Amino acid sequence: MLNNKRHGKLAAVAVMAATALAITSCSSSEPAAPAAEGGSSAPAEPVTITVHTFGGGENFGYDKAVETWNAANPNIQVKYQNLTDRFEDVYLPQLLQRLQAGSGAADIIALDEGAMGLMKARPQFFTDLAEYGLDSRKADFPAAKWDNGINADNKLFALGTDIGGMTMCYRKDLFEKAGLPTDREEVGKLWPDWNAFKAIGEKFKAANPGKTDPKFLDGPNTLYNVILSQEAPKNGNVAYFDKNNQLIIESNPAIKTSFDTVKDFSEAGLTAKLASFTPPWNAAIKKGAFATMGCPAWMLGVVSGAAGDDNKGKWDVAAVPGGAGNWGGSYLAVPKQSKHPKEAAEVLNYLTGKEGHVMAFQEAAAFPSSIPAQQDPAVADLKNPFFNDAPTGQIFGASVKDLLPVFLGEKHAQVKTAVEKVLEGMDQGSVPYDQAWTKFLEAGVKAAG
Amino acid sequence: MTLHVDSPAAPPRPGPRRSGGRRGPKQGGGWSRFDLRATPYFLVSPYFLLFAVFGVFPLGYTLWVSLHDWELAGDKTLVGLDNYIELITDEAFWNAVINTLGMFVMSTIPQLVLALLLANALNKRIRGRLFFRLGVLLPLITSVVAVAVVFTQLYGRDYGMINWFLSFFGVDAINWQNEKWSAWIAISTMIDWRWTGYNSIILLAAMQTIPKDLYEAAAIDGATPRRQFWQITIPMLRPTIIFVVFISTIGGLTLFTEPVMFDGNPTMSGGATGQYQTVAMFIVKEAFRDFDFGYAAAASWLLFALILIGTLINYSFTRRIGGSK
Amino acid sequence: MTATQLRRPPAQHSRRPSGQSAARNRIWDAGPLTKVVLAFALVLSAFPIYYMFIMATRTNEEAIDVPPPLFPGGHLGENIARLLSTEDAYFMTGLINSAIVSVTVTVSVVLISTLAGFAFAKLRFRGSKILLGLILVTMMVPLQQMGVVPLYELMVTLGWTGQLKAVILPFLVNGFGVFMMTQYATQAVPDELVEAARVDGASTMRIYLNVILPALRPGMAVLTLLVFMQTWNEFMWPLIVLNPDNPVVQTSIAALNQAHGTDYVMLFTGTAASVLPLFIVFIAFGRQIVGGLMEGAVKA
Repeated sequence: MLNNKRHGKLAAVAVMAATALAITSCSSSEPAAPAAEGGSSAPAEPVTITVHTFGGGENFGYDKAVETWNAANPNIQVKYQNLTDRFEDVYLPQLLQRLQAGSGAADIIALDEGAMGLMKARPQFFTDLAEYGLDSRKADFPAAKWDNGINADNKLFALGTDIGGMTMCYRKDLFEKAGLPTDREEVGKLWPDWNAFKAIGEKFKAANPGKTDPKFLDGPNTLYNVILSQEAPKNGNVAYFDKNNQLIIESNPAIKTSFDTVKDFSEAGLTAKLASFTPPWNAAIKKGAFATMGCPAWMLGVVSGAAGDDNKGKWDVAAVPGGAGNWGGSYLAVPKQSKHPKEAAEVLNYLTGKEGHVMAFQEAAAFPSSIPAQQDPAVADLKNPFFNDAPTGQIFGASVKDLLPVFLGEKHAQVKTAVEKVLEGMDQGSVPYDQAWTKFLEAGVKAAG
Repeated sequence: MTLHVDSPAAPPRPGPRRSGGRRGPKQGGGWSRFDLRATPYFLVSPYFLLFAVFGVFPLGYTLWVSLHDWELAGDKTLVGLDNYIELITDEAFWNAVINTLGMFVMSTIPQLVLALLLANALNKRIRGRLFFRLGVLLPLITSVVAVAVVFTQLYGRDYGMINWFLSFFGVDAINWQNEKWSAWIAISTMIDWRWTGYNSIILLAAMQTIPKDLYEAAAIDGATPRRQFWQITIPMLRPTIIFVVFISTIGGLTLFTEPVMFDGNPTMSGGATGQYQTVAMFIVKEAFRDFDFGYAAAASWLLFALILIGTLINYSFTRRIGGSK
Repeated sequence: MTATQLRRPPAQHSRRPSGQSAARNRIWDAGPLTKVVLAFALVLSAFPIYYMFIMATRTNEEAIDVPPPLFPGGHLGENIARLLSTEDAYFMTGLINSAIVSVTVTVSVVLISTLAGFAFAKLRFRGSKILLGLILVTMMVPLQQMGVVPLYELMVTLGWTGQLKAVILPFLVNGFGVFMMTQYATQAVPDELVEAARVDGASTMRIYLNVILPALRPGMAVLTLLVFMQTWNEFMWPLIVLNPDNPVVQTSIAALNQAHGTDYVMLFTGTAASVLPLFIVFIAFGRQIVGGLMEGAVKA
């Protein structure tokens, strides 16, 4: 069975959960429990704070953190709901809709870095966290991560969760079968750059010639984003938009390089032709249908969540070809429509604090953006049992040291989702290779329009 | 179930206007006349009140919105017919229209043929008749999202049962979502699976009203069962067939759930290149993914126009059949 | 279900052997081809549902095996436990909400439709033809889809987003129901019956209750089934207007399908659970449903 930590609970828990579900609706009318120890400034009535996140597999990894909080704070009960695997084309529009409608958004919402430009430009939707004293947290974060949480009104509206330092995940068992090295140090040395990576891919393909044999890579999306995260810093640290929010998809060499590399791998037949964050992609992770995937830190949680405990130890983590990069990494914010902004800010403070960051790293491999958490031995020395006890704390700690976050324009998420559709179509065959670049640009221009 | 659009039977003659007699004093002539005159309006008022709020208002307001560059919580600028002009040159919109019509045709025609065959089979004397009738109705009472999920799994490229089955015939794994034709087939089968049985029961009911003598006489004249089917059954069923087509026109032109679930996630894009994006998905995508309310409203009105054309075609058929009766 | 109160047996005149020569009767007997067609239809109808239940008893690893599993496994209990412990899909909430919404909409639509159908079919009043024409013209309009933009703005303005009334009220407008009940009442209720009641001094409402409603039952059964299924299956509007912590069953299944690392077997347990209540009703009242459906179909 799928032993997602969140869901692998036993029948007893299920019964409790069902009961809890049944009484949820009237929970707010229950008599106020006496303020418990550890609860910070407890309000008179118990308050429920909802948290909405996104992402595949273990997503934000807040199960343990929320459980710990709820046990210590009977008067502020947190409900954590992961809405969807997909950020740009499902979570974000639904969130925007609810923000505009003035209701329906959670008390605490998660935001991917790709939407920060958009949200910064809409300060009317968010609570000023400085009102609840969270501006005191500035020293905890790298300057760039902190600054990204300041909006157009110069107010602090979001605090960082994780950052997405880059590695390459690989299936040890499949490498072994293909006659490739399996030790993570050796594997990392196989591919100093993407050309070398492709050569290994060809080798892997030669060892797996059958139609139903495993492929080298999952599909176009992850590869594209990994390469873009490496290329953008080489080209002025911008992606689809320049710092004036002008679309530069045609002129930014980072885009074209990333596109060409993906096209190259796809044409060579090295991909399993899967779009990421879809049910078939998840199934393929479970089934071991591909051998490698570019992995920012949080992707490890996606893989372990989707693969399930039966695949524990089959995956490992090696250095990524082409050097450092940052893909993803998120933020938490409190919408203005929240009825309990004070309590929500408290919970947000906890989740983005050292304790929350450490637990999220343990659960979902989301590497902390908070400096105290990064330095905590529980993070720095962590070995990930799912990934064959890879020292992920050390690996990611090293990978994020000299990262400079890429500037992402206001409409980054819209353009990203539109152009990646073209990549998926190209990889799967509905967009011919020779037309793909033109369609890619068209899609980007239309989405930015 | 037939579709006559002729006006209902002549209303009853008003009752005798005797007063007193058996009626109590409270039900005197005044009350009775009031009852006759006013109650009909009272009876139809719930529908029309709701229709005004949730029917007339949305239609009119959609038209108003469609003339604007309209954001939910932002600017609303009057732009006249710009949205419509942009829409009729928008490839994505016409792609959605073609997908919708394509899937409509691809699902309706086989569905009708199969339902007729099935109704004909159900009309025969066989043991366990009720069992068979219930059996073919079973798909109707499943949840549509559940059906879409099951079929999407069955159509899975790598681990789907249908590709596994086809592999015995030397067919390579098909990526059903990838091409228009394959995606349309997959979605059409979802629709047909749900509705064929229901339609066959409706057709069966109509078949049973055909006088048996017709068949028996034809049999004596040496007509084969196939000939009887084409010469007697089909002509007699025409009104019902048109009703069935009429109902699937509404469902077909507003197709939404199956293609959305076929995509796996509610992105509304209907495949990497919109292979199976329907007009309904297009509208939701414009309104609730890209927040271009005015554009979505204009698309709504064009959808309405499409449906109107569909209805008029149906209506003229119906009239012709009504006239030939 | 109104179908249970059917007074008349389903129409089945062709079933009765006319007692004539065997040769004449033989054309009504099922031949081998017919039997094959029926058996095939039955298998096709049942298979996806069977598959759904098989998957609900399997593990995620087995669910994506090639060849796929065709027989039940032993994991139903743990799948149910996981479905219920996955609180953030709000599956039980969705099931209960859907029941509330579907029953409310169905009862209201059937009531509204029989009232209006009675008036249009059996009462004379000024403007009835125009009003009926209006229904005929608009019943083809998918209001909830076409009007999605203004309806959403309306719900935002009223502050109803996320609430069940937002998915109930718009669906009470069902022109097809009125049309169908008008047709049915026209054919199923003899004018003499209405007149006789009038002579006896019955008021219009009394006629509705004592004469019209009993005669309309088979048609109401069909309308009940159709409206209930349509409401139960509504996906687009709830997806837009409801919030993830208060879903209906269809949006809840869609949530199970995304956000949980593609936990196929839990998803299939959910889908199986979502059709089970309908199946029980269907099997319990199968004869009445088929009978009502067929009788309703002929008359309307």
